[in-house]
Amino acid sequence: MTERKERIHELDIRGQICPSCLLISLKAVNSHRQLLISGGEIHILTDNRQAINTIPGSVHNMGYHTEIVKSKGHYCIEIRKT
Amino acid sequence: MQEGVTLIVITSLVCGLAVGFLLHRSDFCVTGMFRDFFLFRDARMLRILFFMIVVSMALVHGACGLGLIAYYPFPLLGAMSLTNVLGGVLFGIGMVLAGGCVVGTLYKMGSGSVLSTVAFVGLLAGSALYGEFHPAWAGLTKRLAVFGPAKTVPEFFGLDPSALIIPALLLGMVVVWVWAKRGQLILPAHADGYIQPWLSAVALAVIGLVSYIVVGMPLGITMSYAKMGSTVEAWFAPDHVASLAYFQGKGLSYIPPFADSPVVGGAGPGFDGVGAIQYPLVGGIVLGAFLSALLLREWKLHYRVPARQYVSVVLGGALLGMAARMVPACNVWHLWGGLPILAGQSVLYVVGLFPGAWIGSIVLKKYVVRGA
Repeated sequence: MTERKERIHELDIRGQICPSCLLISLKAVNSHRQLLISGGEIHILTDNRQAINTIPGSVHNMGYHTEIVKSKGHYCIEIRKT
Repeated sequence: MQEGVTLIVITSLVCGLAVGFLLHRSDFCVTGMFRDFFLFRDARMLRILFFMIVVSMALVHGACGLGLIAYYPFPLLGAMSLTNVLGGVLFGIGMVLAGGCVVGTLYKMGSGSVLSTVAFVGLLAGSALYGEFHPAWAGLTKRLAVFGPAKTVPEFFGLDPSALIIPALLLGMVVVWVWAKRGQLILPAHADGYIQPWLSAVALAVIGLVSYIVVGMPLGITMSYAKMGSTVEAWFAPDHVASLAYFQGKGLSYIPPFADSPVVGGAGPGFDGVGAIQYPLVGGIVLGAFLSALLLREWKLHYRVPARQYVSVVLGGALLGMAARMVPACNVWHLWGGLPILAGQSVLYVVGLFPGAWIGSIVLKKYVVRGA
Protein backbone atom coordinates (compact mmCIF):
# COMPACT_ATOMS: atom_id res chain seq x y z
CA MET A 1 0.00 0.00 0.00
CA THR A 2 2.80 2.42 0.92
CA GLU A 3 4.60 1.45 -2.24
CA ARG A 4 1.46 2.21 -4.20
CA LYS A 5 1.18 5.63 -2.58
CA GLU A 6 4.71 6.52 -3.61
CA ARG A 7 3.76 5.91 -7.17
CA ILE A 8 1.04 8.51 -7.13
CA HIS A 9 1.76 11.97 -8.49
CA GLU A 10 -0.78 14.33 -6.95
CA LEU A 11 -1.70 17.77 -8.26
CA ASP A 12 -3.94 20.17 -6.35
CA ILE A 13 -5.66 22.58 -8.74
CA ARG A 14 -8.57 23.51 -6.48
CA GLY A 15 -9.65 27.12 -6.77
CA GLN A 16 -7.50 27.88 -9.80
CA ILE A 17 -8.58 29.86 -12.83
CA CYS A 18 -10.16 27.99 -15.77
CA PRO A 19 -8.86 26.18 -17.72
CA SER A 20 -5.85 25.50 -15.46
CA CYS A 21 -7.20 22.11 -14.66
CA LEU A 22 -7.30 20.78 -18.20
CA LEU A 23 -4.05 22.48 -19.27
CA ILE A 24 -2.11 21.25 -16.25
CA SER A 25 -3.61 17.76 -16.40
CA LEU A 26 -2.71 17.25 -20.03
CA LYS A 27 0.79 18.54 -19.40
CA ALA A 28 1.17 16.23 -16.40
CA VAL A 29 0.03 13.18 -18.35
CA ASN A 30 2.62 13.96 -21.01
CA SER A 31 5.49 14.61 -18.63
CA HIS A 32 4.75 11.61 -16.40
CA ARG A 33 4.26 9.09 -19.14
CA GLN A 34 6.86 6.72 -17.65
CA LEU A 35 5.10 6.74 -14.29
CA LEU A 36 1.78 5.85 -15.91
CA ILE A 37 3.27 3.15 -18.15
CA SER A 38 4.95 1.50 -15.18
CA GLY A 39 1.64 1.29 -13.32
CA GLY A 40 1.76 4.59 -11.41
CA GLU A 41 -1.09 7.08 -11.16
CA ILE A 42 -1.69 10.80 -11.45
CA HIS A 43 -4.31 12.22 -9.08
CA ILE A 44 -5.81 15.59 -9.83
CA LEU A 45 -7.70 17.39 -7.10
CA THR A 46 -10.18 19.85 -8.55
CA ASP A 47 -13.39 21.70 -7.74
CA ASN A 48 -14.03 22.73 -11.31
CA ARG A 49 -17.18 21.08 -12.61
CA GLN A 50 -16.32 21.65 -16.25
CA ALA A 51 -12.91 20.03 -15.87
CA ILE A 52 -14.49 16.97 -14.26
CA ASN A 53 -16.51 16.50 -17.42
CA THR A 54 -13.80 17.32 -19.97
CA ILE A 55 -10.63 15.76 -18.53
CA PRO A 56 -11.75 12.08 -18.73
CA GLY A 57 -12.48 12.41 -22.46
CA SER A 58 -9.20 14.17 -23.25
CA VAL A 59 -7.15 11.74 -21.15
CA HIS A 60 -8.97 8.79 -22.68
CA ASN A 61 -8.00 10.07 -26.13
CA MET A 62 -4.37 9.91 -24.98
CA GLY A 63 -4.86 6.24 -24.16
CA TYR A 64 -5.37 6.33 -20.39
CA HIS A 65 -8.16 5.44 -18.03
CA THR A 66 -9.75 7.78 -15.47
CA GLU A 67 -11.82 7.32 -12.38
CA ILE A 68 -13.55 10.12 -10.53
CA VAL A 69 -13.90 10.07 -6.77
CA LYS A 70 -15.75 12.81 -4.90
CA SER A 71 -14.78 13.65 -1.35
CA LYS A 72 -15.14 16.63 0.99
CA GLY A 73 -16.39 19.13 -1.53
CA HIS A 74 -13.95 18.38 -4.32
CA TYR A 75 -13.29 15.74 -6.93
CA CYS A 76 -10.22 13.58 -7.43
CA ILE A 77 -9.56 12.49 -10.99
CA GLU A 78 -7.39 9.37 -10.92
CA ILE A 79 -5.48 8.75 -14.12
CA ARG A 80 -3.87 5.39 -14.85
CA LYS A 81 -3.05 3.14 -17.76
CA THR A 82 -5.89 1.15 -19.24
CA MET B 1 -43.02 51.44 -4.31
CA GLN B 2 -45.35 51.36 -7.26
CA GLU B 3 -46.82 48.03 -8.27
CA GLY B 4 -45.05 47.81 -11.64
CA VAL B 5 -41.67 48.20 -9.98
CA THR B 6 -42.46 45.57 -7.35
CA LEU B 7 -43.27 43.15 -10.15
CA ILE B 8 -39.93 43.95 -11.80
CA VAL B 9 -37.99 43.41 -8.58
CA ILE B 10 -39.67 40.04 -7.93
CA THR B 11 -39.29 38.88 -11.54
CA SER B 12 -35.62 39.85 -11.61
CA LEU B 13 -34.92 38.09 -8.34
CA VAL B 14 -36.66 34.86 -9.35
CA CYS B 15 -34.99 34.94 -12.79
CA GLY B 16 -31.62 35.52 -11.11
CA LEU B 17 -32.03 32.61 -8.70
CA ALA B 18 -32.94 30.23 -11.53
CA VAL B 19 -30.14 31.53 -13.77
CA GLY B 20 -27.51 31.18 -11.02
CA PHE B 21 -28.61 27.64 -10.23
CA LEU B 22 -28.61 26.53 -13.88
CA LEU B 23 -25.30 28.20 -14.74
CA HIS B 24 -23.61 26.43 -11.84
CA ARG B 25 -25.13 23.01 -12.52
CA SER B 26 -24.21 23.05 -16.22
CA ASP B 27 -21.04 25.12 -15.74
CA PHE B 28 -22.56 27.28 -18.43
CA CYS B 29 -19.58 29.58 -18.82
CA VAL B 30 -19.77 31.74 -21.95
CA THR B 31 -16.14 32.75 -21.48
CA GLY B 32 -15.15 29.08 -21.44
CA MET B 33 -17.14 28.47 -24.61
CA PHE B 34 -15.07 30.98 -26.57
CA ARG B 35 -11.78 30.30 -24.77
CA ASP B 36 -11.86 26.52 -25.18
CA PHE B 37 -12.64 26.92 -28.84
CA PHE B 38 -9.34 28.75 -29.25
CA LEU B 39 -7.28 26.79 -26.71
CA PHE B 40 -8.47 23.25 -27.37
CA ARG B 41 -10.41 23.52 -30.63
CA ASP B 42 -13.33 22.38 -28.51
CA ALA B 43 -16.55 23.79 -29.98
CA ARG B 44 -18.99 21.70 -27.94
CA MET B 45 -20.16 24.49 -25.67
CA LEU B 46 -20.09 27.04 -28.47
CA ARG B 47 -22.64 24.86 -30.25
CA ILE B 48 -24.83 24.98 -27.16
CA LEU B 49 -24.55 28.77 -27.19
CA PHE B 50 -25.63 28.85 -30.83
CA PHE B 51 -28.53 26.54 -29.95
CA MET B 52 -29.58 28.91 -27.19
CA ILE B 53 -29.52 31.89 -29.54
CA VAL B 54 -31.71 29.99 -32.02
CA VAL B 55 -34.19 29.02 -29.28
CA SER B 56 -34.27 32.60 -27.98
CA MET B 57 -34.84 33.89 -31.49
CA ALA B 58 -37.78 31.53 -32.00
CA LEU B 59 -39.30 32.37 -28.60
CA VAL B 60 -38.93 36.14 -28.92
CA HIS B 61 -40.19 36.18 -32.49
CA GLY B 62 -43.15 34.00 -31.53
CA ALA B 63 -43.96 36.18 -28.52
CA CYS B 64 -43.72 39.22 -30.76
CA GLY B 65 -46.22 37.70 -33.16
CA LEU B 66 -48.58 37.09 -30.26
CA GLY B 67 -48.25 40.71 -29.17
CA LEU B 68 -46.56 39.91 -25.85
CA ILE B 69 -43.60 42.19 -26.41
CA ALA B 70 -44.07 45.82 -25.42
CA TYR B 71 -40.82 47.24 -26.82
CA TYR B 72 -39.22 46.17 -30.08
CA PRO B 73 -36.34 46.78 -30.17
CA PHE B 74 -35.98 46.97 -26.41
CA PRO B 75 -34.88 50.07 -24.41
CA LEU B 76 -31.20 50.95 -23.87
CA LEU B 77 -30.29 49.69 -27.32
CA GLY B 78 -28.49 52.35 -29.33
CA ALA B 79 -27.38 52.93 -32.91
CA MET B 80 -24.57 50.76 -34.25
CA SER B 81 -21.05 52.07 -33.93
CA LEU B 82 -17.61 50.65 -34.61
CA THR B 83 -16.90 51.20 -30.91
CA ASN B 84 -19.18 48.18 -30.31
CA VAL B 85 -16.52 46.09 -32.07
CA LEU B 86 -13.67 47.70 -30.12
CA GLY B 87 -15.55 47.18 -26.87
CA GLY B 88 -16.13 43.54 -27.85
CA VAL B 89 -12.41 42.96 -28.35
CA LEU B 90 -11.55 44.40 -24.92
CA PHE B 91 -14.45 42.50 -23.34
CA GLY B 92 -13.16 39.25 -24.88
CA ILE B 93 -9.65 39.77 -23.52
CA GLY B 94 -10.96 40.82 -20.10
CA MET B 95 -13.36 37.93 -19.66
CA VAL B 96 -10.74 35.27 -20.41
CA LEU B 97 -8.21 36.84 -18.02
CA ALA B 98 -10.90 37.29 -15.33
CA GLY B 99 -11.91 33.62 -15.65
CA GLY B 100 -15.51 34.52 -16.43
CA CYS B 101 -17.61 37.28 -17.93
CA VAL B 102 -19.86 39.70 -16.12
CA VAL B 103 -22.45 37.01 -15.33
CA GLY B 104 -20.03 34.08 -15.16
CA THR B 105 -18.08 35.86 -12.42
CA LEU B 106 -21.28 36.08 -10.38
CA TYR B 107 -22.18 32.40 -10.45
CA LYS B 108 -18.59 31.36 -9.82
CA MET B 109 -18.39 33.78 -6.91
CA GLY B 110 -21.62 32.35 -5.50
CA SER B 111 -20.30 28.82 -5.77
CA GLY B 112 -17.27 29.73 -3.65
CA SER B 113 -14.57 30.81 -6.09
CA VAL B 114 -12.17 33.19 -4.35
CA LEU B 115 -10.61 34.21 -7.66
CA SER B 116 -14.00 35.21 -9.08
CA THR B 117 -14.69 37.26 -5.95
CA VAL B 118 -11.45 39.13 -6.58
CA ALA B 119 -12.43 39.49 -10.25
CA PHE B 120 -15.75 40.97 -9.06
CA VAL B 121 -13.87 43.71 -7.18
CA GLY B 122 -11.85 44.36 -10.34
CA LEU B 123 -15.10 44.59 -12.30
CA LEU B 124 -16.50 47.23 -9.95
CA ALA B 125 -13.28 49.24 -10.19
CA GLY B 126 -13.19 49.00 -13.99
CA SER B 127 -16.85 49.98 -14.31
CA ALA B 128 -16.32 53.01 -12.08
CA LEU B 129 -13.15 53.94 -13.98
CA TYR B 130 -15.19 54.20 -17.17
CA GLY B 131 -16.88 57.26 -15.67
CA GLU B 132 -13.54 59.09 -15.99
CA PHE B 133 -13.45 58.95 -19.78
CA HIS B 134 -17.11 58.50 -20.68
CA PRO B 135 -17.48 61.85 -22.52
CA ALA B 136 -14.51 61.07 -24.79
CA TRP B 137 -15.75 57.53 -25.49
CA ALA B 138 -19.30 58.72 -26.14
CA GLY B 139 -17.89 61.26 -28.61
CA LEU B 140 -15.91 58.56 -30.43
CA THR B 141 -18.98 56.31 -30.48
CA LYS B 142 -20.94 59.06 -32.17
CA ARG B 143 -18.18 59.69 -34.72
CA LEU B 144 -17.91 55.99 -35.53
CA ALA B 145 -21.66 55.46 -35.83
CA VAL B 146 -21.19 54.91 -39.54
CA PHE B 147 -24.32 52.82 -40.02
CA GLY B 148 -26.84 55.55 -39.41
CA PRO B 149 -29.59 55.57 -36.80
CA ALA B 150 -30.81 51.96 -37.35
CA LYS B 151 -30.81 49.79 -34.22
CA THR B 152 -31.33 46.41 -35.83
CA VAL B 153 -29.99 44.76 -38.97
CA PRO B 154 -33.45 44.49 -40.60
CA GLU B 155 -34.02 48.17 -39.82
CA PHE B 156 -30.67 49.01 -41.43
CA PHE B 157 -31.74 47.31 -44.66
CA GLY B 158 -35.22 48.81 -44.43
CA LEU B 159 -36.83 45.39 -44.05
CA ASP B 160 -39.54 43.96 -41.85
CA PRO B 161 -37.84 41.98 -39.02
CA SER B 162 -39.46 38.72 -40.21
CA ALA B 163 -37.82 39.05 -43.62
CA LEU B 164 -34.44 38.39 -42.05
CA ILE B 165 -35.32 36.60 -38.82
CA ILE B 166 -37.37 33.80 -40.40
CA PRO B 167 -34.59 32.77 -42.85
CA ALA B 168 -31.97 33.08 -40.08
CA LEU B 169 -34.15 30.98 -37.84
CA LEU B 170 -34.66 28.27 -40.47
CA LEU B 171 -30.95 28.14 -41.21
CA GLY B 172 -30.16 27.97 -37.50
CA MET B 173 -32.66 25.17 -36.98
CA VAL B 174 -31.12 23.10 -39.78
CA VAL B 175 -27.66 23.50 -38.23
CA VAL B 176 -28.95 22.55 -34.78
CA TRP B 177 -30.84 19.59 -36.22
CA VAL B 178 -27.65 18.27 -37.85
CA TRP B 179 -25.71 18.63 -34.60
CA ALA B 180 -28.48 16.96 -32.64
CA LYS B 181 -28.57 14.05 -35.07
CA ARG B 182 -24.82 13.59 -34.67
CA GLY B 183 -25.26 13.63 -30.89
CA GLN B 184 -23.09 16.76 -30.63
CA LEU B 185 -25.39 18.56 -28.24
CA ILE B 186 -24.99 15.98 -25.47
CA LEU B 187 -21.90 16.37 -23.31
CA PRO B 188 -20.15 13.79 -21.14
CA ALA B 189 -21.26 14.17 -17.53
CA HIS B 190 -19.25 13.09 -14.49
CA ALA B 191 -19.96 15.93 -12.07
CA ASP B 192 -22.73 15.43 -9.49
CA GLY B 193 -26.09 17.02 -10.22
CA TYR B 194 -25.00 17.94 -13.73
CA ILE B 195 -27.72 19.36 -15.96
CA GLN B 196 -27.07 18.87 -19.67
CA PRO B 197 -26.20 22.34 -21.04
CA TRP B 198 -28.75 22.09 -23.85
CA LEU B 199 -31.49 21.77 -21.23
CA SER B 200 -30.15 24.79 -19.38
CA ALA B 201 -29.96 26.62 -22.70
CA VAL B 202 -33.69 26.09 -23.26
CA ALA B 203 -34.49 27.13 -19.69
CA LEU B 204 -32.26 30.23 -19.96
CA ALA B 205 -33.93 31.23 -23.22
CA VAL B 206 -37.34 30.93 -21.54
CA ILE B 207 -36.13 33.01 -18.57
CA GLY B 208 -34.82 35.64 -21.00
CA LEU B 209 -38.23 35.77 -22.64
CA VAL B 210 -39.98 36.13 -19.27
CA SER B 211 -37.74 39.11 -18.55
CA TYR B 212 -38.45 40.61 -21.98
CA ILE B 213 -42.21 40.27 -21.46
CA VAL B 214 -42.44 41.36 -17.83
CA VAL B 215 -39.55 43.82 -17.45
CA GLY B 216 -39.65 44.98 -21.06
CA MET B 217 -35.98 44.12 -21.65
CA PRO B 218 -33.75 41.05 -21.79
CA LEU B 219 -31.55 40.17 -18.83
CA GLY B 220 -28.85 42.75 -18.27
CA ILE B 221 -26.63 43.69 -15.34
CA THR B 222 -23.66 45.73 -16.46
CA MET B 223 -25.00 49.15 -15.58
CA SER B 224 -25.45 48.00 -12.00
CA TYR B 225 -21.72 47.23 -11.83
CA ALA B 226 -21.02 50.88 -12.60
CA LYS B 227 -23.66 51.78 -10.03
CA MET B 228 -22.05 49.62 -7.34
CA GLY B 229 -18.62 50.91 -8.32
CA SER B 230 -19.68 54.57 -8.18
CA THR B 231 -21.48 53.96 -4.86
CA VAL B 232 -18.26 52.66 -3.30
CA GLU B 233 -16.22 55.44 -4.92
CA ALA B 234 -18.66 58.01 -3.55
CA TRP B 235 -17.89 56.89 0.02
CA PHE B 236 -14.31 58.05 -0.48
CA ALA B 237 -14.62 60.82 -3.05
CA PRO B 238 -18.21 62.09 -3.13
CA ASP B 239 -17.34 65.39 -4.79
CA HIS B 240 -15.41 63.72 -7.56
CA VAL B 241 -18.21 61.25 -8.31
CA ALA B 242 -20.70 64.11 -8.33
CA SER B 243 -18.52 65.95 -10.87
CA LEU B 244 -18.57 63.12 -13.44
CA ALA B 245 -21.21 63.42 -16.13
CA TYR B 246 -21.62 59.67 -16.53
CA PHE B 247 -22.78 59.23 -12.95
CA GLN B 248 -25.30 62.07 -13.28
CA GLY B 249 -26.91 60.75 -16.44
CA LYS B 250 -30.13 58.77 -16.44
CA GLY B 251 -29.62 56.43 -19.35
CA LEU B 252 -32.70 54.42 -18.55
CA SER B 253 -36.15 55.96 -18.89
CA TYR B 254 -39.11 53.92 -20.03
CA ILE B 255 -42.55 52.79 -18.94
CA PRO B 256 -42.38 49.06 -18.07
CA PRO B 257 -45.06 46.84 -19.66
CA PHE B 258 -47.05 46.42 -16.44
CA ALA B 259 -46.62 49.91 -15.00
CA ASP B 260 -48.24 53.23 -15.68
CA SER B 261 -45.43 55.60 -14.82
CA PRO B 262 -41.84 55.72 -16.11
CA VAL B 263 -38.91 53.97 -14.47
CA VAL B 264 -35.78 56.09 -14.57
CA GLY B 265 -32.24 55.21 -13.63
CA GLY B 266 -28.54 55.60 -14.30
CA ALA B 267 -25.06 54.49 -13.31
CA GLY B 268 -24.66 56.92 -10.41
CA PRO B 269 -24.87 56.07 -6.70
CA GLY B 270 -28.25 55.53 -5.08
CA PHE B 271 -31.17 53.23 -5.69
CA ASP B 272 -33.23 53.92 -8.81
CA GLY B 273 -34.77 52.09 -11.77
CA VAL B 274 -31.48 50.47 -12.74
CA GLY B 275 -31.04 49.22 -9.19
CA ALA B 276 -34.61 47.90 -9.11
CA ILE B 277 -34.12 45.86 -12.27
CA GLN B 278 -30.51 44.77 -11.97
CA TYR B 279 -29.63 44.46 -8.26
CA PRO B 280 -32.16 41.65 -7.63
CA LEU B 281 -30.85 39.87 -10.73
CA VAL B 282 -27.23 40.17 -9.59
CA GLY B 283 -28.08 39.03 -6.05
CA GLY B 284 -30.28 36.22 -7.38
CA ILE B 285 -27.53 34.79 -9.60
CA VAL B 286 -25.00 34.76 -6.75
CA LEU B 287 -27.53 33.23 -4.35
CA GLY B 288 -28.80 30.66 -6.88
CA ALA B 289 -25.27 29.40 -7.53
CA PHE B 290 -24.53 29.41 -3.81
CA LEU B 291 -27.58 27.23 -3.11
CA SER B 292 -26.70 24.88 -5.97
CA ALA B 293 -23.14 24.38 -4.67
CA LEU B 294 -24.36 24.03 -1.10
CA LEU B 295 -26.88 21.33 -2.04
CA LEU B 296 -24.13 19.39 -3.80
CA ARG B 297 -21.78 19.90 -0.84
CA GLU B 298 -19.33 21.55 -3.19
CA TRP B 299 -19.18 24.98 -1.59
CA LYS B 300 -15.67 25.47 -0.31
CA LEU B 301 -13.20 28.33 -0.45
CA HIS B 302 -9.78 27.70 -1.96
CA TYR B 303 -7.54 30.73 -1.84
CA ARG B 304 -4.15 29.05 -2.23
CA VAL B 305 -3.68 29.60 -5.90
CA PRO B 306 -0.64 31.00 -7.74
CA ALA B 307 -0.24 34.76 -7.23
CA ARG B 308 -0.16 35.42 -10.98
CA GLN B 309 -3.74 34.17 -11.19
CA TYR B 310 -4.83 36.82 -8.67
CA VAL B 311 -3.09 39.46 -10.78
CA SER B 312 -4.82 38.12 -13.88
CA VAL B 313 -8.33 38.24 -12.43
CA VAL B 314 -7.90 41.74 -10.97
CA LEU B 315 -6.56 43.21 -14.20
CA GLY B 316 -8.87 41.11 -16.37
CA GLY B 317 -11.83 42.04 -14.17
CA ALA B 318 -11.02 45.76 -14.39
CA LEU B 319 -10.65 45.55 -18.18
CA LEU B 320 -13.89 43.57 -18.38
CA GLY B 321 -15.78 46.09 -16.23
CA MET B 322 -14.52 48.98 -18.31
CA ALA B 323 -15.24 47.18 -21.59
CA ALA B 324 -18.75 46.29 -20.42
CA ARG B 325 -19.49 50.02 -20.29
CA MET B 326 -17.68 50.73 -23.56
CA VAL B 327 -19.50 48.04 -25.60
CA PRO B 328 -22.00 48.80 -23.90
CA ALA B 329 -23.39 45.72 -22.05
CA CYS B 330 -22.32 42.08 -21.91
CA ASN B 331 -22.63 38.52 -23.22
CA VAL B 332 -26.00 37.88 -21.66
CA TRP B 333 -27.55 41.09 -22.92
CA HIS B 334 -26.15 40.77 -26.44
CA LEU B 335 -26.03 37.02 -27.04
CA TRP B 336 -29.43 36.05 -25.79
CA GLY B 337 -31.09 39.44 -25.78
CA GLY B 338 -29.76 41.31 -28.79
CA LEU B 339 -28.79 38.65 -31.32
CA PRO B 340 -32.27 37.04 -31.31
CA ILE B 341 -33.71 40.30 -32.67
CA LEU B 342 -30.61 40.89 -34.82
CA ALA B 343 -29.69 44.03 -32.90
CA GLY B 344 -26.90 45.82 -34.74
CA GLN B 345 -24.83 46.53 -31.62
CA SER B 346 -24.97 42.85 -30.69
CA VAL B 347 -23.77 41.70 -34.11
CA LEU B 348 -20.84 44.15 -34.02
CA TYR B 349 -20.06 43.13 -30.43
CA VAL B 350 -19.76 39.46 -31.44
CA VAL B 351 -17.46 40.46 -34.31
CA GLY B 352 -15.11 41.92 -31.69
CA LEU B 353 -15.62 39.20 -29.09
CA PHE B 354 -14.01 36.40 -31.13
CA PRO B 355 -10.61 38.06 -31.68
CA GLY B 356 -10.72 39.37 -28.12
CA ALA B 357 -11.22 35.89 -26.65
CA TRP B 358 -8.47 34.60 -28.93
CA ILE B 359 -5.98 37.23 -27.68
CA GLY B 360 -7.05 36.58 -24.10
CA SER B 361 -6.51 32.84 -24.52
CA ILE B 362 -2.97 33.37 -25.81
CA VAL B 363 -2.10 35.67 -22.90
CA LEU B 364 -3.70 33.27 -20.41
CA LYS B 365 -1.78 30.26 -21.66
CA LYS B 366 1.50 32.11 -21.92
CA TYR B 367 1.54 34.13 -18.71
CA VAL B 368 -1.18 33.03 -16.31
CA VAL B 369 -1.47 29.25 -16.24
CA ARG B 370 1.92 27.85 -15.40
CA GLY B 371 3.03 24.71 -13.70
CA ALA B 372 2.75 20.95 -13.86
